[in-house]
Amino acid sequence: MLELEIVHAWPGFHLELHLEVGAELLVLFGRSGAGKSLTLRAIAGLFRPASGRIALNGRVLFDARRGVNLPPQARRVGYVPQGYALFPHLTVFENVVYGLRGSPREIRRQGMEWLERVGLVDLAGRRPHQLSGGQQQRVALARALAIHPDVLLLDEPLSALDAPTRSELQILIRNLQRQLRIPILFVTHNLAEAMLLADRIAVLEKGWLLQVGPPKDVLHRPARREVAHLVGVRNILRGQVRGRDSEGWRLWIGERELRARPNPLDPPPGEGTAVLACIRAEHIALIRPDRPPPPDGENRLSGEIIGEIDYGLARVLFFRVHGPRLTPEREYDLEIEIPPYVYERLDLERVRLWTIAIRPESVHLIVAEEEKEPPASVLP
Amino acid sequence: MDWFPFLLSARVATLATGINLVIGIAMGWLMARRSFPGWDLIGAVVTIPLVLPPTVLGYYLLVALGRASPIGQALEALGIPVVFTWRGAVVAAAVSSLPLMVQSCRAAFEGVDPELEQVARTLGRSEWEVFRTITLPLAWRGILAGTILNFARALGDFGATLMVAGNIPGRTQTLAIAVYDAVQANDLARAGILVAVLSIFGILTLVAVQQLGRRLAA
Repeated sequence: MLELEIVHAWPGFHLELHLEVGAELLVLFGRSGAGKSLTLRAIAGLFRPASGRIALNGRVLFDARRGVNLPPQARRVGYVPQGYALFPHLTVFENVVYGLRGSPREIRRQGMEWLERVGLVDLAGRRPHQLSGGQQQRVALARALAIHPDVLLLDEPLSALDAPTRSELQILIRNLQRQLRIPILFVTHNLAEAMLLADRIAVLEKGWLLQVGPPKDVLHRPARREVAHLVGVRNILRGQVRGRDSEGWRLWIGERELRARPNPLDPPPGEGTAVLACIRAEHIALIRPDRPPPPDGENRLSGEIIGEIDYGLARVLFFRVHGPRLTPEREYDLEIEIPPYVYERLDLERVRLWTIAIRPESVHLIVAEEEKEPPASVLP
Repeated sequence: MDWFPFLLSARVATLATGINLVIGIAMGWLMARRSFPGWDLIGAVVTIPLVLPPTVLGYYLLVALGRASPIGQALEALGIPVVFTWRGAVVAAAVSSLPLMVQSCRAAFEGVDPELEQVARTLGRSEWEVFRTITLPLAWRGILAGTILNFARALGDFGATLMVAGNIPGRTQTLAIAVYDAVQANDLARAGILVAVLSIFGILTLVAVQQLGRRLAA
């Protein structure tokens, strides 16, 4: 169990987070400059926060108030920085056993065992520069784990790798986590990777911890506008709660009404509350005229496709609603994402007038007051 | 042919380089890895032999180590007088070549990624072990280049050596001073040989340093 309480500030930047991490894989997610790497460095003892406390399995590594600050040597933390930082003048084997102590025989045994675990026995005598990126990352993992750390810190471990190597290593890391049962902090700005690997995701932005939760929650129930943005919600519409009935909430967005049935776990917003309605672009359906229409409870809007972007694996359509608009301040109202084969089957290149359907369950609400101020600082 | 200047110069340059190697590694590492107020001043003092006339440097050393100074008196009392002895030549050669060693070591240490040292620390190795097993092995080429340059510069020192050690044939007459002496005595043949030896050595030195630099970059 890793207990984290880090507060630090210098001109133009503030880092503050409170987290407890069990024997799980926690992804620190956010763009560069959010404070992810700094958090790892603070745990490793390579950066001293102004205040806070860091404890690992009850062992206090850092406590500003009591003046405790263990050096990195005494922390038993496995740290793999971005770029791996392999020792270029040592062989693969020498890198892996660098942190080991004991008789040469014992060191040799343990080193070979780790090389086996990461599948590098044949390369034991090579130098780092003779290895591929994926092999280098395996060496870095084995080197960090060989000291039997109480926590493993991985800073963007896979971002420099090609897609097949990346998925191999994702599986390796997942398996290592199951075997070792220690907390793993995994920094990434890749959403798909975060979703795949994380037991929980901690979203950081500009030094603030905005949301912590299972991947599905973060993806479908972002707590703040910045989180919604980071997890790829394309439609974030300003609106107001008008009332509630048996079908859910009625929202007033722009010049018209939408229905929402947010997750029961979210606190219900009161009448008149300013909200942000989040609708994922891939949750909007085009209604085919030759098929039975969707149930009545769904939001239905008629309009026109006025533009599109071809991402290869997906098409994004810019949809303008006819009549009263949702976002009168700009040209289009909604972004809709569909797979390319749907685009072709529906002949969207020629057919531009459509009715769309949005299930009320797909409209997630964020109470807008929360987004104005950063979360209140807990410490002075 | 009098071989004494060759032997003396070899001994002086070797000792000066040895002393500077220890000072250079310590100062170069501190300059590359630590920062505290006053460092720029200390850096300037160490580097100043590069820009001062050698006679000015010699004058400072003469005043600092001569009979009139407390240091000079103390050294004399210990039976190791410096001024106008071969030891004076070592001090003069060391001080005038120190900037080359310190700058080379500093650059060599700055070329070592601090992240490697940080990871080594998280793996439980002490500061000294990290220095011995990571920093030094990765910096040694730059340090070796600095050592070669330092040796060459120490071998060729003239002005400061003449001021501090004098020109006593068979006692303090180094190669560079022997050239001057030979020309003064109109023995151009002897001067020619000495000059040729010093020049060839200088060229070899620079070739070696350049090759080290290329392998460092590769």
